[in-house]
Amino acid sequence: MSSTIATLGVPPVQKTSSLSSGIDVVEPTPTINLLTQRRADFTTLVESLEYAAQGETGYNFYDAKGNLKSVLSYRDLCASAKVIARRLSGLGLARNSRVALIADTTPEFVELFFACRYAGFVPFAMPVPVNLGSRAIYVQQLKGMLESSKASVALANLDFIEFLNEAIGGLRNDELKWCGTPDQLDLLPEADVALLQNTPDETAYLQFTSGSTRSPRGVVITEQALMTNLRGIVCNGLDVRLGDRCASWLPFYHDMGLVGLVLAPLAAQLSVDYLATRDFAVRPLQWLKLISRNRCTIAFSQPFGLKLCTLRARDSDLVDLDLSCWRAAGVGAEMIRLETLKIFAAKFAAAGFDERAFLPCYGLAESTLAVSFPDIGQGAKSLRVDAKTLIEKKVAVRVQADGRKYNEFVNCGRPLPDHEVRVVDDTDHDVPSMAVGSILVRGRSVMSGYFNNAEETARAIRADGWLDTGDIGFLFEGNLYITGRRTDVIIVNGRNIRAQDVEELAEQQPEVRAREASAFGISNEDGSTSVVLVVECRLASAVDRQSLINRLQQMVYMAFGVNCLVELVPPHTLPRTSSGKLSRFAARQGFLRRVNMEQPVVTINTVS
Amino acid sequence: MSEVTQEQITELLCQRLVYFTEIEMEVSPETNLITHLAIDSVKLLNLVMEIEDEFDISVPLNTLVDVLTVQDLANLIHKIKLSSQ
Repeated sequence: MSSTIATLGVPPVQKTSSLSSGIDVVEPTPTINLLTQRRADFTTLVESLEYAAQGETGYNFYDAKGNLKSVLSYRDLCASAKVIARRLSGLGLARNSRVALIADTTPEFVELFFACRYAGFVPFAMPVPVNLGSRAIYVQQLKGMLESSKASVALANLDFIEFLNEAIGGLRNDELKWCGTPDQLDLLPEADVALLQNTPDETAYLQFTSGSTRSPRGVVITEQALMTNLRGIVCNGLDVRLGDRCASWLPFYHDMGLVGLVLAPLAAQLSVDYLATRDFAVRPLQWLKLISRNRCTIAFSQPFGLKLCTLRARDSDLVDLDLSCWRAAGVGAEMIRLETLKIFAAKFAAAGFDERAFLPCYGLAESTLAVSFPDIGQGAKSLRVDAKTLIEKKVAVRVQADGRKYNEFVNCGRPLPDHEVRVVDDTDHDVPSMAVGSILVRGRSVMSGYFNNAEETARAIRADGWLDTGDIGFLFEGNLYITGRRTDVIIVNGRNIRAQDVEELAEQQPEVRAREASAFGISNEDGSTSVVLVVECRLASAVDRQSLINRLQQMVYMAFGVNCLVELVPPHTLPRTSSGKLSRFAARQGFLRRVNMEQPVVTINTVS
Repeated sequence: MSEVTQEQITELLCQRLVYFTEIEMEVSPETNLITHLAIDSVKLLNLVMEIEDEFDISVPLNTLVDVLTVQDLANLIHKIKLSSQ
């Protein structure tokens, strides 16, 4: 291992880049840079890259077996992005035109993303397909994003181009001017144009938040919002310092993967080691091996990713691991259960993992990425609150006596500088400390809105600039604790599933009428979440009913990759509000009553 | 292993899948992985890992989107196996 450290400590001669393929890759980019570190104090993304390009650091891509596949130093990225930008410019598009990229974990994606910024275009990342049998629904999702963004250009590598072509076949708008692979783009001539500087108020990128087929929403993030958030992450969240190096398996089409582990490291000139999401999911230990081997100090995961590591690691795997270098183990993107962190720490303590490295944070794409961080190096702090008072009075009261049932919530820290967090009740009034309510955020990282969607934007951002996060929680001594989501989002294995999307899928079946399906999540005993779909059904034959249930389960699986409990009920069973809208909350209560299930709000432990 | 036939792959998958789910049932080539076996994302990843180790292949994600039944999966593995030789 010492030889690896020595190699990484000295800047090696860069022998190749992803552009000059065919030459064997020799070394990953070094951890130590000869360039003076600047901590995200730039006004635009391109300016960050121009600075990083003067150093030796960059991005490294590894294959499923942990072998270095390709290296993209910031220097090479800067050069190739400009070349590609000139090719894109030759297409004669207006400034701020959208460019859709299917975002596999590859150097090509990063090159294209920055090429768009150089050319003055707005890139956005689209997901790769992950679910069994999901072709039709995946193509629908792509189509939805292309239409919603009015994209002028769409790119995918060879593995995914057929899906993109299929999606383009049925587009209802005519903005799309060019579609192809990066190789095809390379055949276009370079336009002889001057690449104009970006301004802070320009849109930097769009981030789609939902896989919904009908109403995908593209979050609009300006250069200023992005740079504000990157500075917050680099300086306040991670307190980035010399010797830092990142490792990531997070998908490039997620805000945490893109902003947190592609753009933030660049803004601080750190090297990053990437493992494709698919390769992590199949063999999660490769991520830990990468951290250990390259002495990485910063790596983020959803709780689900930590769980996968714990599940798959055998004791024999621990012998070769040394995770003592890992100082910032960021955890975010879904509700954090302390239990998940404890089990992970217990398992990997033998491999040198220090639980003080845990950095549980809170954020959302609508506020670029990060909203709050606790102090670094403290580990996950939590609060035990009385379960009964929490449910009945919506107030968190610390458990004093033994034997009381309690809920334990993780401290997600304080808001970034220049950002404020409020907790309000249903009438929009601030609630006192420890009282549970809706979490609102205001600050310079907050999105400009959803692209081309004034209605959804108005629903999310108040006139006075406060963003409604859709999450609920409380503040205690200035620290934020998340207690759950409102009923319109179900989180399973780290994936956000909008209840509305599940209901829309159900309504696509001929037997199901509009507004006769209700979807919600229920908590299982082991703390996991299941999706439940209750459908009003007029079918009498058992065969027809079973066929509908099977189809619904299959559709939900294909779209979201989760199993779903389907209950068919007689018409007029689902509770409606006075305006005729379905109440998911009441539907959930009714379901729990029918199946006679006791439902903890979150995990309930007993103080022993 | 390189001489493995499509029938052998199908048979092997049927045997393996019985242990993959909590449901007691006969697994045939026509068995639907989603509705019959309730393969969720975690089980799917486990299955992919076993397949890759067993057949010494790499299953690209984009190929799974056309897989619904055990037979579909067997066909896919056979195809990858052939093209990797």
